[in-house]
Amino acid sequence: MNLAANANAALYAAMIVYTLAMLAFTWHLAARAPKVADSKVAEVPATERESVLVGAGAPTTSERRPATPYAAGPGFEESLKSRQRGSIALMLTYLASALLVSSVLMRGLAVGRPPWGNMFEFATAAAAAVGAAYSVLAKRNNWQWLGVFIVTPILLVLGLALTVLYTEAGELMPALKSYWLGIHVTVAFLAVAFFTLGCAVGLLYLVRLRREEKPPAKPNFIESLPSAQSLERTAYSLNMVAFILWTFTLIAGAIWAKQAWGSYWQWDPKEVWTFVIWTVYAAYMHSRATAGVDHRKSMYIALVGYVSVIVNFTLVNLVSTFVGMHNYSGMG
Amino acid sequence: MSTDTDPTTAQDPAAAQDSQRIRTGMRPDRQEPTLPTLGAVGMLRWGWRQLTSMRTALFLLLLLSIAAVPGSIFPQRNIDAGRVADYIAQHQTSAPWLDRLGFFDVYASPWFSAIYLLLFVSLVGCIAPRTKVHLSALRSTPPRAPARLQRLDEHAELTTTLTPDEALEAARKVLKGKRFRVHSHDGTSVSAESGYLRETGNLLFHLALTGIIIGMAVGHLLGWRGDIILAEGDKFASSAGTYNTISPGPWVDSETLPPFVLSLDKLHVEFNDTPGRSFGTPRLFDAQTTLQSSPGAPKSSENVSVNHPISVDGADIFLLGNGYTPVITVRDAKGQVLYREATPFLPQDPNYRSVGVIKVPSASPKQLGFTGFFLPTAEPSFTNGPMSLFPDANNPEIAMSLWEGNLFPGGAPQSVYTLNTEEMKQVLQPNGSPALFRLKPGETKQLPGGRGSITFDSVKRFAGLSVRTDPGAPISLVSATLATLGLILGLTIKRRRVFVRVRPAPAGAGGDRPEGTLDSPPGADGRPATVVTIGGLSKDSDPGLAAIVSAITTGVHDRLAERTDRS
Ligand code: HEM
Repeated sequence: MNLAANANAALYAAMIVYTLAMLAFTWHLAARAPKVADSKVAEVPATERESVLVGAGAPTTSERRPATPYAAGPGFEESLKSRQRGSIALMLTYLASALLVSSVLMRGLAVGRPPWGNMFEFATAAAAAVGAAYSVLAKRNNWQWLGVFIVTPILLVLGLALTVLYTEAGELMPALKSYWLGIHVTVAFLAVAFFTLGCAVGLLYLVRLRREEKPPAKPNFIESLPSAQSLERTAYSLNMVAFILWTFTLIAGAIWAKQAWGSYWQWDPKEVWTFVIWTVYAAYMHSRATAGVDHRKSMYIALVGYVSVIVNFTLVNLVSTFVGMHNYSGMG
Repeated sequence: MSTDTDPTTAQDPAAAQDSQRIRTGMRPDRQEPTLPTLGAVGMLRWGWRQLTSMRTALFLLLLLSIAAVPGSIFPQRNIDAGRVADYIAQHQTSAPWLDRLGFFDVYASPWFSAIYLLLFVSLVGCIAPRTKVHLSALRSTPPRAPARLQRLDEHAELTTTLTPDEALEAARKVLKGKRFRVHSHDGTSVSAESGYLRETGNLLFHLALTGIIIGMAVGHLLGWRGDIILAEGDKFASSAGTYNTISPGPWVDSETLPPFVLSLDKLHVEFNDTPGRSFGTPRLFDAQTTLQSSPGAPKSSENVSVNHPISVDGADIFLLGNGYTPVITVRDAKGQVLYREATPFLPQDPNYRSVGVIKVPSASPKQLGFTGFFLPTAEPSFTNGPMSLFPDANNPEIAMSLWEGNLFPGGAPQSVYTLNTEEMKQVLQPNGSPALFRLKPGETKQLPGGRGSITFDSVKRFAGLSVRTDPGAPISLVSATLATLGLILGLTIKRRRVFVRVRPAPAGAGGDRPEGTLDSPPGADGRPATVVTIGGLSKDSDPGLAAIVSAITTGVHDRLAERTDRS
């Protein structure tokens, strides 16, 4: 049995199923858009609980509710059609994520080491982490609305990985043979997965907030999402989990660097960017906890943080100006 | 008064009674600082407040992240001084300015240091008062219940036939079971608070950050590193003078370096030789060594490889690089040996095209210097200059040019890897073109003009070893672990307050019963019913709070069921 070939086959299959999932999620969003008449939600009684997401403990008194005619959240009744399409899309996502994760595992078995020794493997493993994290969390939190914003980037990354970054399965450079690498990188992937979810929800928060402040003439699926406040809290929780994981990534990376290069910190470009990401998200947490800084501004900081995450995994690995000791992109 | 750390207060101050907001103990940040007219002391005090405010910390954090970026864009001296020199040579106009502004030493530059030192001061100035406030909060009792519990984030009301005391007792039991600190300020209410560990964790996190910085400082002051280039078969005895380069911290006494003796028996190296993208990439580096902790001490066999340093006397020895040392002999016209050494050539590219220098000061009448390349797998035609096709020594060759004159102008110390040609002239062939000597192992070439001969005897590998101590590293590691722990506590634990108040139900009425399902018929046994109001408050998004409030209603209900059972 040729594991490497099977890994590639599973990767292609995952891409096909993700494409179907993406279409199904879009189809689901189309069914979600509330009709103008339905969505004019009257003032919600103060006793009614907001049962969405982490915001379940959110303030429920009426004076705290944003004054918008489309305050969907609790007032929004999801149609049967929309629910059905949502579950189809989720099922497809589960399948695709399972295929992708198994592709990564098979590649790991094929090369007899953790499957992230070069940029291609890195990108697929990161995409698999995002897909897996979303699949695990989506059902319980009713995150069908988030699906298309997760699955589309996954597809983009996989496409790029196959076309631009592809490297034959091979052995690792000596510097990469360490179990700390396994720990460091696994946690980094998890962190990136949560940062990605946090970023997607954060962007939706910004859109939702804007439309709450200036209600549009015609509501669309955005109006069917949980309230901006609730989205903001979800994004915060996701970023918080990611930040903890990233802190751990940083420490594990330092321990590995100590073993490999004799010094746990020497400001090599990869370390610089890991640090930059960490400080930017620390600033986000601070800003969110500082009185007088509104959550929208804090979210901008978090988005800057996500841009740094992207830079760290693309430019820093590939571009020659960022030459350091972490030279393992497998890109020649 | 609004507190720094409480976002909700700033957003809608009317949302709940301000006195009920949960504080983490931060000093209030004034939105509009009133400039004191107190003179110097007042200004200092004001400045200190600004520096230790949360906004400043936020600003400095953002600044630090921006300031760190240039170090990943411009080459840095601490990583690769050679690249910095190249960059400066290529950018004649901008580079001197960049250099003056510290862009090639970002992490040692005054501006970068200023930012992190300010942050460090701010951090300490922040932790001390917060710790004081938190310690007193740990000893204090939860505050009095506010007047209108209905206005809190989570609330519930129910009517029961329990007596007020029984109802409060039931609530107390539930709250204690959930590890709340419970206190009654009067006979009709209970106040409870939990999640003190949140602030403890937060303080631990910030305190541990200072620990990391202290660990780094200790490492800088008391640590040292020395680098050695050791050819196969050679022996190295550690002492301040024997390292190729040594950089001790400012507080290191270089007489106290560990006196170990290390010899390199064999360096195993493997490269990927299957064609494809990874052709020529390294697969294995493993140095087989013999180590003695001091001259005369028992010998032990040790393997040093990438990721697997060996330790001796608190110092760690790392394998960081490798390359080739051609053994080259230079003779004078009479055949007298002037130079015979295994000379390390430093690799320049992934295929180990390496540069090196041979200095022959004993040559006469003029001193001789060779400079050139070692190519492990030479590309034979040299059409694009000397090139190597593969990093392993499959077709080794050296290509050297010859200079004569004064090797050491002014007697100044110089690197063994460069030839200072200030006072030297290149030796030409009779036809006027520069003399170039290409040799394979075993070959000898005559130098023009009866200057003697050069022989390439053989080639050995060398290992680039780095010996390091960092006494601060354990401090940083422990601190980093504590920081993570503190972060997890600080971010996941919720600071909560819950209040329960009882009052008699309005006479004759069934009480208002919004949560009718949990009620039992009021006054079933003839006694007046009690209205129980529960209110909960949390610092941030907190799905668990609703569960606690409903656990109390269930608790009250269970208490009633218990009583009914007994009677
Ligand atoms: C060295 C730079 C600093 C870093 C990396 C940092 C990082 C963080 C992080 C990640 C949090 C959220 C964690 C938690 O809530 O437990 C936090 C919270 C906090 N930080 Fe810092 N911090 C730094 C410096 C400071 C300074 C100088 C101050 C004082 C002005 C400060 C005051 C606070 C406060 C009061 C909170 C609690 C916010 C809340 O209530 O959630 N920090 N910090």
